Amino acid sequence: MLKYIKKYLWIGLLGSLFMVGEVLIDLLQPRMMANIVDNGILKGNESLVWSVGLRMIGVVALGGTCGIMSGVCVNICAQHFGNDLRKACFGRIMNFSFEQTDDFTVGSLITRTTSDVTQVQNMVAQLIRGGVRCLMFFVAGSSFLLSMNVAFGRVLLCTAPIILIEIAIVVKRSGPLFLLLQRRLDRVNSVIGENVAGERVVKAFVQEKSEINRFEKSNAELVDTQFKVLILLSWMRPIMNIVLNIATVAVIYIGGREVAARNMEIGELMAAITYLSQILNGMMMLAMIFQTITRGVASGKRIKEVLASTPAISDGGMIDVPLRGGSVEFKDVSFVYPGHRHEVLKNISIKVNPGETFAIIGATGSGKSTLVKLIPRFYDTVKGSVLIDGEDVKSYRLETLRSRIAFVLQKSELFSTTIRQNILIGKEGASKTETEKAARAAQAEEFILEQPQGYDTPVAEGGMSLSGGQKQRIAISRALIKDAEILVLDDSTSALDLGTEARLFKALGEGYGKLTKIIIAQRIATVMRADKIAVLDRGEIVGLGTHEELLNTNEVYREIYNSQLKKGSESA
Amino acid sequence: MSQSKYASSAQPSLERRGPIGNMGAPVQKAKDSKKTLRRLIAYFRREAKFVIILAATVVIGVLAGVLAPRFQADAINRIQKPELGSLTSVLIMMLVAYLIYGVSTLIQGFVSARLSQRVVRRLRGDLFAKIVNLPISYIDSHSHGDIMSRMTNDAENISNIVSSSLSSLFSGVLTLAGTIAMMLSYSPLLTLLSCSTVILTVVVTTFMTKYMRKYFVRRQTLLGRLNGTVEEMVTNTKTVTAYNRQQREVEGFSRTADELTKTGIIAEIIGGSMGPVMNMLSNVAFVVVAVFGARFALSGDISIGVISAFIIYAKQFSRPINEIAQLYGQIQTALAGGERIFDILDEKDEDKSGGEIVRPIKGVIEFKHVNFSYVPGKQIIRDFSLKISGGKKIALVGSTGSGKTTIINLLMRFYPIDSGEILLDGKSIYDISTDELRDAIGIVLQDTVLFTDTVKNNLCYASGDTAPEALQAAAVSSRCDDVIANLPNGYDTVLESGGASLSQGQRQLLTIGRAFLSEPSILILDEATSSVDTRTESDIQDAMAELMKKRTSLIIAHRLSTIQDADEIIVMDQGAIVESGSHEELLKKQGRYYKLYMTQFAGQAT
Repeated sequence: MLKYIKKYLWIGLLGSLFMVGEVLIDLLQPRMMANIVDNGILKGNESLVWSVGLRMIGVVALGGTCGIMSGVCVNICAQHFGNDLRKACFGRIMNFSFEQTDDFTVGSLITRTTSDVTQVQNMVAQLIRGGVRCLMFFVAGSSFLLSMNVAFGRVLLCTAPIILIEIAIVVKRSGPLFLLLQRRLDRVNSVIGENVAGERVVKAFVQEKSEINRFEKSNAELVDTQFKVLILLSWMRPIMNIVLNIATVAVIYIGGREVAARNMEIGELMAAITYLSQILNGMMMLAMIFQTITRGVASGKRIKEVLASTPAISDGGMIDVPLRGGSVEFKDVSFVYPGHRHEVLKNISIKVNPGETFAIIGATGSGKSTLVKLIPRFYDTVKGSVLIDGEDVKSYRLETLRSRIAFVLQKSELFSTTIRQNILIGKEGASKTETEKAARAAQAEEFILEQPQGYDTPVAEGGMSLSGGQKQRIAISRALIKDAEILVLDDSTSALDLGTEARLFKALGEGYGKLTKIIIAQRIATVMRADKIAVLDRGEIVGLGTHEELLNTNEVYREIYNSQLKKGSESA
Repeated sequence: MSQSKYASSAQPSLERRGPIGNMGAPVQKAKDSKKTLRRLIAYFRREAKFVIILAATVVIGVLAGVLAPRFQADAINRIQKPELGSLTSVLIMMLVAYLIYGVSTLIQGFVSARLSQRVVRRLRGDLFAKIVNLPISYIDSHSHGDIMSRMTNDAENISNIVSSSLSSLFSGVLTLAGTIAMMLSYSPLLTLLSCSTVILTVVVTTFMTKYMRKYFVRRQTLLGRLNGTVEEMVTNTKTVTAYNRQQREVEGFSRTADELTKTGIIAEIIGGSMGPVMNMLSNVAFVVVAVFGARFALSGDISIGVISAFIIYAKQFSRPINEIAQLYGQIQTALAGGERIFDILDEKDEDKSGGEIVRPIKGVIEFKHVNFSYVPGKQIIRDFSLKISGGKKIALVGSTGSGKTTIINLLMRFYPIDSGEILLDGKSIYDISTDELRDAIGIVLQDTVLFTDTVKNNLCYASGDTAPEALQAAAVSSRCDDVIANLPNGYDTVLESGGASLSQGQRQLLTIGRAFLSEPSILILDEATSSVDTRTESDIQDAMAELMKKRTSLIIAHRLSTIQDADEIIVMDQGAIVESGSHEELLKKQGRYYKLYMTQFAGQAT
């Protein structure tokens, strides 16, 4: 992370220099006040009061300017640093493999890019500004105080440790409490979120009362922790005030004797009181700085984890060729999800020729989806290899590889822009005709035109305003507009009714004949016209052939077929 | 769904009120602050004990705080003129005053912590109870993010204002009054002069705050946009990757991020200038006091001690003014949040009324000329009449948007019908309380909802404590026993973020298991097996046939194989029934069902 701050370090240092100026002037002020009191007011010298007074205002203005300038520098430094960090983080995440995204979880990646970066940025600003200020007040303030009268040193020596101990205790105790607080807050939020999103289920199972109890429990825990934090923090200021005021009394007491002994003047005594409060206040600031640092360091670690994760799928970078047909071959492929023992795919070997339609069918959890995710290298094989046009996918440039494959995911992901923009994700800058052609083939045009603003209708957050089948059809349009050679449909027609699905496949056959199509589906009707069908069972291919072949030879396929069609065909 | 995005950062901080505090934060205004304030106060009324203690300690604290400088002034006078009396006795008085002040602030802290936590806990509890009891139509028609933010951010804002600001607002006003009184008692003329600089402070503060707010509002908007981008892109990262959009998305993000940084720097610089400017003004005040104090001291109107007291008072004077100015913005924001909370609290609860269900439940469901529309004018269900005899298996088929799910929404009383009648065992469902009605019906929904809890608790969601054998049996019937066996801790595995790590098909199996365990008299499956392969599905169907013997089941499915053996198949189109009968009867009719069936059978459109 140091490399990100380096660029802006100089301006940060300039900022701390300005800060030194501001503090010095702050410390000069009590002296000038003392001068006004002792030599002006006490001696009845009104012109001195005026001249010193005006000088003081001038000096303070200079100090204020220093303060503002220090703010300018520190802000430029910290915010640019934060901005670079945020961009680096986001860029890294965008290039993560699916596995890395899953490992971090989406929620945590969002927090890391947003609030964690802000915490680190605050830490930098606080360190430059607060740290310097605090140190200066302590060092310079103490020396000014001692230079007036060494006896005041005793007061400082007695009070400063008390404050330091207080800060230490509060910081130490609050750290774990803050962590706990965050967890409790997350818990409460998660209960609320689940209830808002799952209200139908709550109501359908008549669980309102038990949900309220569940919430009450989390709510009570949260409030309890919050209360503990507040109580802990409540000690801070009163103790600090009491100590400060006792010190003031002591200074007046000592100062009183010194004045009586003519060793000191009244104005100096007043200046001493001001110095004392400045020093102790500076120490108080330490508490805040500590807190920011604790949070900043924790956040920094979380950001570092993101930045340190090199993309798990590395760019092959060798082959950068565009269109070459689009054959896909799996050669003795095995796969295990990272961290699992269970082998999801076992020694799979299949070859799909250019322009062929290849279908995969099999039970829930048989590994269909995993198999196709190996083609665009969303995951890498553990054993064996996947070849496109005879070349290992790992040897292609990633971007080239993925530009050749149009992949429709199981769960349609829509962006909150217009329907048109959502389709254009497949091909930036595609023409109106191209867009409409793709939507028509995906059987999406009809419902799109029924939307209030047609293609330019905005999609609400995550596509909430659209039905599952409509979302799937937009996702398919997006894939069709892409100039790819291989189309993968990962169970992405599950929410379409039969007629629509049939029309979709008809359109695919007519307008997109050159595409190599790899289709995962549950319905026999969806796969039966494929050139080749693979039956997957527990990670192994148990059947491969055309519909007729499989029907005659393959037990599993026949079972699937029977479960879907037989009863009907008997009576028909 | 990620929950963390709702995590509020509004946690108590060591920094109670910084020099510029929240002054620059965007202030939202409530439409009717007075009314909201009154309702908020009602929440405090029940905590009268704490409010009184708080008020009493604030009064004592302010008295001590205002008196202490007086003793200090005395002390300094006595140093200068020892004939005025013993220094030690004044110092003791001063010490006592400061101690009382310190202790009272400590107690204030404790009491307001207790008070705020009690109020917020109750507020949040009320709000949650409200949300759980709201009609489905409310949840369906409002953004979930918005409802979430009312429950979290708005409630948190009120909590913060109560815990950190209530006592300081109160003591601020009192200190102001007390200080002015003290200053007046010393020298009315010098008081007037001090006040003039205060007016200057107020003018400058108001001006700067106004200017600043513009940038803070802009920064807030940009931040919202940036966070929105991060959330959307990270959530949809699979599509971004599949379509090689990484570079483009990073560029878009960078543009917003750069703009945010630019605005942020300006906002912070203006905000940060506040401190030095205030410092400068307070020094001007000092010089004014010093110059005129000196003149009055020379003329013998006041003593040196009075000048020293004035210096302290002048400081004490500007502090509450600054604080109140800052609090004003915070209070406005909290009130706006309060108003949004009360908006929800004022929503009508779902109508749950009705009597008991007819027992034993036979499961005869009858729709009589039912009409319904979600939005007036866009009728979804038209003159729908259907009688389902008890113990039968009924299927609803039809294309998307034909109103199948709506029929379920009406039967569950999720939405009220516009006209007509729905009867269960001859009794209108509106004469049966929703608790009784829904208890009798087990439902598996299109959207699989699982809770962040153990698998076991998810399965036993409705049934409560269940014997392990029954649990196992339900898992076997719903075919989720395999899924569970592959989980690291079996039944005790905690499903993180609603089972995001499971496949859609696996989640569906778990929700079916959950419905089986609730032992319903009527079972509804709404596209419940769409992601389950057909063999597993037919196993489930066999188990269900056993389980639902003599009970009514209602099934919605796209796959006709799912419903072929239903006792009656209802074909719907545009909110009305177009055909009904058994699979064989409907095929013979060669009507719409036949066409649907043939597409499935043939696989391709003909």
